[in-house]
Amino acid sequence: MISVNDRTARFLDPLARRRREIVTPEGVVLHVEIAEYGERVGAFLLDLLFLLGADIVLFLLLLLVARHVANVRVLLELVLFAAFLVRNLYFIHFELAWQGVTPGKRIVGLRVIDRRGGPLLPTAVIARNLMRELEVFMPLQAVLSAGALGPGIWERLALTLWLVLLALLPFFNRDRLRGGDLLAGTMVIAMPKRRLLDDLVEGAVDQSFSDPQLSAYGAFELQILEELLRRPESAETAVLRRDVCQRICRKIGWTAPVPPHETTAFLQRFYAAQRAFLEREQLYGRRSAGKEEPPDGG
Amino acid sequence: MNEQARPPPAITLKSSEFRRDREQGWRELELLLELARRHGVTGLAPEELERLPLLYRAALSSLSVARAIALDRHLLLYLEDLALRGYLVVYGPRGRLLDGFREFFRRGFPAAVQSARWHILVALLTLLAGAAAGFLLTIGDEAWFSALVPAGMAGERGPSSTREDLLNGEIAAPWPGFIDSFLVMANFLFQHNTAVGILCFSLGALAGVPTLLLTLYQGLSFGAFVALHYDRGLAWEFIGWASIHGITEFGAVILCSAGGLLVAEKVLFPGRFSRLDSLARCGGTAARMAVGAMLMFFVAAVLEGGFRQFVQSTPLRLCIGLGVGAVWVLYLSRPASEPEP
Repeated sequence: MISVNDRTARFLDPLARRRREIVTPEGVVLHVEIAEYGERVGAFLLDLLFLLGADIVLFLLLLLVARHVANVRVLLELVLFAAFLVRNLYFIHFELAWQGVTPGKRIVGLRVIDRRGGPLLPTAVIARNLMRELEVFMPLQAVLSAGALGPGIWERLALTLWLVLLALLPFFNRDRLRGGDLLAGTMVIAMPKRRLLDDLVEGAVDQSFSDPQLSAYGAFELQILEELLRRPESAETAVLRRDVCQRICRKIGWTAPVPPHETTAFLQRFYAAQRAFLEREQLYGRRSAGKEEPPDGG
Repeated sequence: MNEQARPPPAITLKSSEFRRDREQGWRELELLLELARRHGVTGLAPEELERLPLLYRAALSSLSVARAIALDRHLLLYLEDLALRGYLVVYGPRGRLLDGFREFFRRGFPAAVQSARWHILVALLTLLAGAAAGFLLTIGDEAWFSALVPAGMAGERGPSSTREDLLNGEIAAPWPGFIDSFLVMANFLFQHNTAVGILCFSLGALAGVPTLLLTLYQGLSFGAFVALHYDRGLAWEFIGWASIHGITEFGAVILCSAGGLLVAEKVLFPGRFSRLDSLARCGGTAARMAVGAMLMFFVAAVLEGGFRQFVQSTPLRLCIGLGVGAVWVLYLSRPASEPEP
């Protein structure tokens, strides 16, 4: 059975990210939002960009230092080797020092966590990043390497297949894991960034609503109403609130007129009374979830 | 606070009261988390570091209470986010790059190798069987050599090589100097054996048959090489020449294929887990073996580039090769009994 919170979330934002439960070492269930493919690719490309910059600087430095080395091949090998060291240390260093975040991930707002909710261990960080070497860089280098030294046509085909298969891997599992995540037991999530807003209920609760009136709605409607009250003020919001207010009055048989400029105040009073009522009922074990089907237009 | 001041029938919301009581702790935690995000956990003052886990656990308990009593959706979402952010900082990796590597070399790598000893045995036996078969085939008919060893790897060596060719061009070739030695080392990324290691490991996902075949094939071509030299009375010299880096290199190949076999086993026989879960459970071990093997390939490349032609006496070469091999065995069998994280 889906909880009221999930239902509200689905109703308010049908395109929400895929969520997954993790259990913290304290035994509390938390929900994490799995990073989208686009975000992952974006973060990776950003990191590659930074690395490219670092490699160019490195290359220029090497060029300065090794001016007298006439052998171009030596220089090339040196650069390739340095690039290999830099890219591996880059990912591992940042994911350790910044707690699962690289500069690219930070810009996009992603984070690496342990898939089972345990602590993210250095070993896992190293494993997932060195796997990237096997997943992307080594096959890519081999496929792109030219001349007689490079691999034969069949090896090239096999390596290309390997590249494509691993690149597609995140599409074939529900946590969008790439090879490194799979082996290291990690996953990439979107960082939460919610601020605490003011409570909608301040002070005492208006008691002009009767219990039968308040039991007309359940938790689901209450949360929709909360969302409506938290909406930024606008002409559209005003129209919606007016409409909702009239529906509520009709449903609970509220006969006193509610003038247009008092709509929001009335809704707030009703929200407070309704929440007080439902929370009291909930304390006694009588949960009321609300309508089975989300109301249309609410 | 001022409940007494209000007229008795006034009702305050349980959830609002709860929020008022605890909000300060949440705000404080939020502040610490923001600090940690900007300056890293290490940037926090000692007393802040002491507060952090306490505030985090308090936020977790707030979340549990709120789930039971509150119907304020925003509050629930906020608390869940706060708890998650706290969790990420409290249980994030604490170490530095060096700590990570130290941990890996001290425990992760040897422990992984020890937990896969049967897979290593199978890989070793496969390699030996390949070597024996390659040796026996080539010794009977040297035409097998060209069939077993790809041209790129054979270089100019082959059935037509004479004893002098092999001795001067290969075993006793002069040390090429630092630059060229370094080239061989830096080239390790593209080396045939590294690629083979990766393939051995990654093909494990295909039920392990390709892994075993590839390992067998490595043995076959090595056996063919030995046979070629044996026929020219150079077996002893060749083994010395190859052992200096070969022991490390074959060790790495064995670890790679053992890692592949481990993956294959978990995919074929997931037991009571789903295949993906089963893979994730062994993944850490297999990945550690592959990563360690890559480092072994690197060491082998350094040995090959730096020492192979530098040291010219066969007994000394054998000593170095076997010595390095013994160091590997000792290192990998060192007690790493602390529980696998």
